[in-house]
Amino acid sequence: MGLIKKIVTWGRTKSPWVLHFNTGACNACDIEIIAALTPRYDLERFGVLLKGSPRHADVLLCSGPVTRQIGDRLKRIYDQMPEPKFVVAVGTCACSGGVFKGCYNIESGIDQVLPVAAYIPGCPASPKAIIDAVVKLLKSLEES
Amino acid sequence: MGQAIYNILVFPGLFFLILFGWAAEFIDRKIYARGQKRVGPPWYQPVADFIKLAAKEDIVPEEASATSFKLMPLIAMASAVTAFFYIPLWTTEALFSFYGDIIVVMYLLTIPTLTFFLGGWYSRSLYSTIGAMRTLTQLFAYEVPLFVVILASALLANTWSLSEITKFYALHPHLWIFNLLGFGIGIIALLGKLEKGPFDIPEAETEIVAGSFTEYGGRLLAFFRLTLDIEVIVGASLLAAVFLPFGLNLTPAIGFVIYIIKVLFIVILLAVLRTILARFRIDQMLDFCWRYLAPLAFIQILINLLVKGLLLR
Ligand code: SF4
Repeated sequence: MGLIKKIVTWGRTKSPWVLHFNTGACNACDIEIIAALTPRYDLERFGVLLKGSPRHADVLLCSGPVTRQIGDRLKRIYDQMPEPKFVVAVGTCACSGGVFKGCYNIESGIDQVLPVAAYIPGCPASPKAIIDAVVKLLKSLEES
Repeated sequence: MGQAIYNILVFPGLFFLILFGWAAEFIDRKIYARGQKRVGPPWYQPVADFIKLAAKEDIVPEEASATSFKLMPLIAMASAVTAFFYIPLWTTEALFSFYGDIIVVMYLLTIPTLTFFLGGWYSRSLYSTIGAMRTLTQLFAYEVPLFVVILASALLANTWSLSEITKFYALHPHLWIFNLLGFGIGIIALLGKLEKGPFDIPEAETEIVAGSFTEYGGRLLAFFRLTLDIEVIVGASLLAAVFLPFGLNLTPAIGFVIYIIKVLFIVILLAVLRTILARFRIDQMLDFCWRYLAPLAFIQILINLLVKGLLLR
């Protein structure tokens, strides 16, 4: 049993497929996510692939403070992903609401709506920070 | 009996096919990455992807027809593996063969495409429906040239069995020259069959998310991906058997190495084409296949008829 679990964990840490979802970001964080996926940084080295469908994804990369309107949609997309799944909050907005904190139309952070596995601060978060966070998330998976 | 089960499940059957398919996927992705000046995935990437997908939750959409949705990946894989047994690999003798198996192999290789269509259709999502329609439209474009060039080669050999064809070409080693045009057409049609490179229209990520596979996740997706990997090997072996009949009469060990080289050559050719060409639109693809590829395939038949009439009398 232990061996099978080890093999499965190995597979999971070596092949995280990400889905990118804009939850009301100013678009700077999205551009940084896209930059992290370009050949310059080459995330396929770690097995990371960008997927369009929530059914294929393991990691949900969210950027933005979650506007009231997008909250339901975010939850629906999260529900469409098969277990095990992880949410990564990219950017200060996604972590806490950032400059928009306390606005009447936002939820102030992804963790108000979904359980978050990793927070990446920065306005916007740089590609290197995003890669670092994903690698740390995978390490914590390996240890648990 | 035991020997047959060993042949079917281990070598040169399922197990060998899966390993070879994974290796081919790695080579394909590595070449694609190097073409973009990237490092690319590590060698164990296809294995890790498969294990991860196999250990994930299966979700069947509420609107989908559950039985058909779950059955499609298995049918696809079964037919792709079955087709492999009728193809001569490193000798002139396939594992099983009978008169007319060339038609059976071609139809067995069409079944995975049909299951992609049915799987997409039964998942009832908008994206997968569009993907399914495109899969079928594309099928009508590349299938005819592929059938015609392979049958043209059979015409020259005057038989309807794949093993007989390779025996014929082993006896007349220079005749493969006349089939070169057919080989080129076969490679292009194979790109369409595998939904790769310029013909990945049915699963164009930038337009329709993942095409027919949009609603598939977990184990079912893992099997579909495995089917595609296996189909690469089966398709490449078919082209190698029909168009590249070298090294068939040597000892099994050397023949085996030559067979691997032949298949890898075709895999690398497919990967390079996929890297350097951008995606067509579906109407451009139909246009290209019917206006250029199909007539060229008929020219191949003409060439073979002439060769048969003039040289082989
Ligand atoms: S963290 Fe900064 S860059 Fe990112 S979405 Fe918020 S305001 Fe924009």
